[in-house]
Amino acid sequence: MLRLPIAERPDWQVRAREYGFHFHTMHGQPYWDESAYYRFSLQQIEQDLEDPSAEIHQMCLDIVEQVVRDEALLTQCAIPAQFWQPILDSWQRRDPSLYSRLDFCYDGNGPAKLYENNADTPTSLYESGFWQWLWLEEQVDRGLLPRQADQYNSLQEKLIRRWAQIAQHYGIERVHMACCMDTDEDRGTVQYLQDCAAAAGIGSDFVYIEDIGLSDTGHFTDLTDRPIDTLFKLYPWEFMFDEQYGEAIPAADVQWIEPMWKAVLSNKALLPLLWQRFEGHPNLLPAWFEHAPPAEIPDGWVRKPLFSREGANITLQAPGKPAVSAPGPYGEEGYIYQAYAPLPRFGNNHTLIGAWLVDDQPAGISVREDSSLITQDLSRYLPHIIA
Amino acid sequence: MTRKRSSTINLAQMRKHFTVKPLALGVASVMLSACGGDRQDATVYTSVDQCVNDNPEQANICQTAYQEALVEAERTAPKYRSEQDCEYDFGPNQCRVVNNNQGSFFMPFMAGFMLSNLLSPGGYYHQPMFASYSPYSRYRYRWLTADGYDFGDLRKRHYKVSKRTFNPKPSVSRTISRGGFGSSVRAKSSWGSGKSSWGG
Repeated sequence: MLRLPIAERPDWQVRAREYGFHFHTMHGQPYWDESAYYRFSLQQIEQDLEDPSAEIHQMCLDIVEQVVRDEALLTQCAIPAQFWQPILDSWQRRDPSLYSRLDFCYDGNGPAKLYENNADTPTSLYESGFWQWLWLEEQVDRGLLPRQADQYNSLQEKLIRRWAQIAQHYGIERVHMACCMDTDEDRGTVQYLQDCAAAAGIGSDFVYIEDIGLSDTGHFTDLTDRPIDTLFKLYPWEFMFDEQYGEAIPAADVQWIEPMWKAVLSNKALLPLLWQRFEGHPNLLPAWFEHAPPAEIPDGWVRKPLFSREGANITLQAPGKPAVSAPGPYGEEGYIYQAYAPLPRFGNNHTLIGAWLVDDQPAGISVREDSSLITQDLSRYLPHIIA
Repeated sequence: MTRKRSSTINLAQMRKHFTVKPLALGVASVMLSACGGDRQDATVYTSVDQCVNDNPEQANICQTAYQEALVEAERTAPKYRSEQDCEYDFGPNQCRVVNNNQGSFFMPFMAGFMLSNLLSPGGYYHQPMFASYSPYSRYRYRWLTADGYDFGDLRKRHYKVSKRTFNPKPSVSRTISRGGFGSSVRAKSSWGSGKSSWGG
């Protein structure tokens, strides 16, 4: 695993406009960065990232199987009681899932360590599935990368296939898709999923989360008053549970993508539960609940809110150093702790690997860099190759 | 050797701008004839003045509808990468450049706006209309909507149309409230201006 400089495509910003990639620069900072790329060996990809992703996903599903039947654990996950039954139902029906991203600490040697499972609302999907794919094609065409260079990235292919399966499962030809207003990144991610659905022959109707209505019959509606019967929502379950329409969810009769059981799969309570069940697994870091610390607390640890997104409210205690905290609005719901395993450095960059799954199939990686040890949403995205 | 990346991606399908929107043929005639019951009068105006002459009491609605149609036109009109491509479909000097957050491109001028239900308490309907003057276009001298419905000869101004012309998605339920989702985001948005995603 190496970080290598490369000339940028001179016209990449024009291409970005052409393909509708609008969030390559955010808050005046570059987000997409093609001044360098990461090179992995095939062995690193397959043995250290692909196989462990599939295995950890199955381990996580084992934990979900346990949590959905256990009121004490559901309480521990800070899931409101009125959703316990709907979550169990959605799990027992095996409501189909679309995708998720496992975040790993990995430097090219030894086992990748799982930081967390972004199973409900992962972003950076478009730049992974499409944009870095296009970068590789064009850099090969320009002769800057060898023809045989590959990339661990079958995301788009798998997403299209998965949409077709989900449509068949529910017997649908159209699907509603939603995210919040005022975020180019989320809208771009949903647009990408709309494109993938379209490639699978499924039409989509977009509605902003804030525009969703409630009908006299208890169904959710879009802005044209049509009922929403299948909804992909890039919006966290835990937010929806807490909001005004939360109580309308059980009766609204929606086929949710991601399904409601992902409220458990994406919960950080999963991390201590994984460690309890699979203690010593090479891809896991020791983790514990705030109220149940281990007999010997490691010198370094990280404290994460159960529901945090993009590194918010994370406290990092490196051994023998003052603790560092990222600000944010989360934490009321409780915290978990995880043993300290700092991100590897490549130059001045702290590098995080996101390993994608489409349903339960490993489908590729994303590489993000941050100038700090806590990867936040101002991090930069770099492409990668296998060579 | 098996590749670990998507073997092909349909780039044309992924392209977001400058693609020519196909104009559907014959859809309007179906809409104009098949929906007997709920048809209503609609008129195409090429200026606010024309509309006001016809509806002196509703001058302000004419003005508002025109403005709204202009905004709608910019959002929904066919977009082209080059002026030449646009003029090929719509005719010489029929296109203008538009710059918005999605880039820079060419679209036809709004040639008129269709207005219906002007006096209804339930509110009026309107939409932008486009017209082609290009000798290369099969839609030359015909009224077109942004989504490609062909309303026929430009000289014709009065139509009996289905409500669906304006709102192609049928209403099947009554919405009693909106905005019950999204409050967590509003509450959490006070955290810095840096938030770009509610995913992760």
